[in-house]
Amino acid sequence: MMAKEKGVKKSRYTQLIILLVVLILVVFFVSLNLGAIRIAPLNVMKTLIGLGSSQDQLVLFDFRLPEIILALLIGAGLAVSGAVLQSVTRNELADPGIIGINAGAGFAVVLFIFLFDKSMSSTNFLTIFAMPLFALLGALLAAFIIYTLAWKKGISPVRLILVGIGVNAGFGAGITIFQLKMAPQDFTKATVWLAGDIWANNWLYVLSLLPWIIILIPYVIYKAHSLNVLNLGDHLAIGLGTSVERERRLLLILAVSLAGFCVALGGGIAFLGLVTPHIARRLIGPKHELLLPVSTLLGALLLLLADTIGNNIFSPTEVPVGIVVAVLSAPYFIYLLMKTD
Amino acid sequence: MVTLSTQQLQVGYGDKVIIQDLSLHIPEGEITCIIGPNGCGKSTLLKTLARIQRAKSGSIFLDGKAIQDIPTKEIAKQMAILPQTPGAPNGLTVYELVSFGRSPYKKGYGKLTNKDRDVIEWALEVTGTDEFRDQAIDALSGGQRQRAWIAMAIAQETELLMLDEPTTYLDLAHQLEVLKLLERLNKEEQRTIVMVIHDLNHAARFSNYMVAMNSGAIIKEGTPFDVMTPENLRHVFNIEADIIQDPKSGKPVCLSYDLIEQKTLVKK
Repeated sequence: MMAKEKGVKKSRYTQLIILLVVLILVVFFVSLNLGAIRIAPLNVMKTLIGLGSSQDQLVLFDFRLPEIILALLIGAGLAVSGAVLQSVTRNELADPGIIGINAGAGFAVVLFIFLFDKSMSSTNFLTIFAMPLFALLGALLAAFIIYTLAWKKGISPVRLILVGIGVNAGFGAGITIFQLKMAPQDFTKATVWLAGDIWANNWLYVLSLLPWIIILIPYVIYKAHSLNVLNLGDHLAIGLGTSVERERRLLLILAVSLAGFCVALGGGIAFLGLVTPHIARRLIGPKHELLLPVSTLLGALLLLLADTIGNNIFSPTEVPVGIVVAVLSAPYFIYLLMKTD
Repeated sequence: MVTLSTQQLQVGYGDKVIIQDLSLHIPEGEITCIIGPNGCGKSTLLKTLARIQRAKSGSIFLDGKAIQDIPTKEIAKQMAILPQTPGAPNGLTVYELVSFGRSPYKKGYGKLTNKDRDVIEWALEVTGTDEFRDQAIDALSGGQRQRAWIAMAIAQETELLMLDEPTTYLDLAHQLEVLKLLERLNKEEQRTIVMVIHDLNHAARFSNYMVAMNSGAIIKEGTPFDVMTPENLRHVFNIEADIIQDPKSGKPVCLSYDLIEQKTLVKK
């Protein structure tokens, strides 16, 4: 009977993975159909195998597909980043947004728009390539500041979170200062970016993000056991033979890099990195060998769903995906806060 | 057998000195209990012995080698430590927790080997946690939970087992359950056990060696009979104790005690 119960968890995991993949495929196809130009399911199929009209091909391959894939990649990346941060800090309220990574990236982007992009069109060549780079640098800078300020003969998880919240507030203030000095259209652009918007929908961006996600997420999953042990607290982790400081630093770098790359292309999407690991933990428990793959797929699914809703609910006006995520997950977040006491 | 000793150990946080010039040899294959009042440095000593807390000066030798020169993973194969009131994430099952005890033997992603599985089964069985193996730690009672943690520690397969107040928050029966389990591990597996414990009678009953501390120094060490004397307890705890011999275990028992200051107060 015991062996059977153990098998139950394993098969629950398999079922969950299959379910998530199926759901992703469903939303994927729905998302291909919907939009300012609707394409019937049959035509989507035809186009995908290369038999569609040239207009359908243009819409699907040049606009929708890259955005869908970006949503999947960014969702997966932010979810895993949040899961790692929550375990490393042993704080279930940690996510890249809360400890200031998003704000750091946001500050860099606002600074960039303020300094270089004044009244230029948004498809400017410089913007396309330099803005994500700026965002990434901003994220890494924020992480560096947090880590340095939180260092006091080692890192205490609580201090890391508190310093992160402070850094978050600092960057937030900086963002406001520069935003207030902007021309109206730049202000709007910065606001949309900060809210979280997959603005970079072309294949070049997909290719610039894909390798990082493909390398970093499996590497984090490879490190699952370190996360399991760190999640027990420093004393137990040391007792079990873990080089706590080294592993924690490595995992923090992985989480921040993932968040940095994702925020660079997806803007300041909040809450996704917070809520996804929570739901995943409810579904499969806190063991990271199972938790991380479930978080990956769940994050991808949720962001694609949010993006699809955002693109269509007030069509032809698009709602930034970050706002949809916030609206969907804020109630869950409040529920969590109420439940923890 | 693995030996553990300290020489002129000094430990502190910042400028505050907690342990001063402490030399101690842990007797191999025995149960050693460290006793002393709150804040005397007994927990700090245990943590320092287990390399969780860094010493300011002096040395700790594990099997004759200075502990800071041994890779932490190698130490984890010789010494397991169970901190006071450890916490597991919600939803973690007993089996999963016990499997974490195999960490020092893991390489990379390393799935559990057959040997790992055998050791986990053994640890579950010895601690009597087998029947809860698929339940979440947070759903267990205090005594069951503590046994699950001990199962994790012994799954590390170390000769040395260090425990910081393993019976705190447990009711009388569960306290005894945990201590008897440790006694069995000591007798049947010849494991060296070092624990910090508050209950003097438990310390005397279950240990072969006692270390009494106050203000970061060892006041007295030796067999329970050497340590559990009214005079020593006056020094260590500032109490006036009546010690008798337990007819069942043959060990010294503190029958009753009173505060020394309180007596003088009453006289006034």
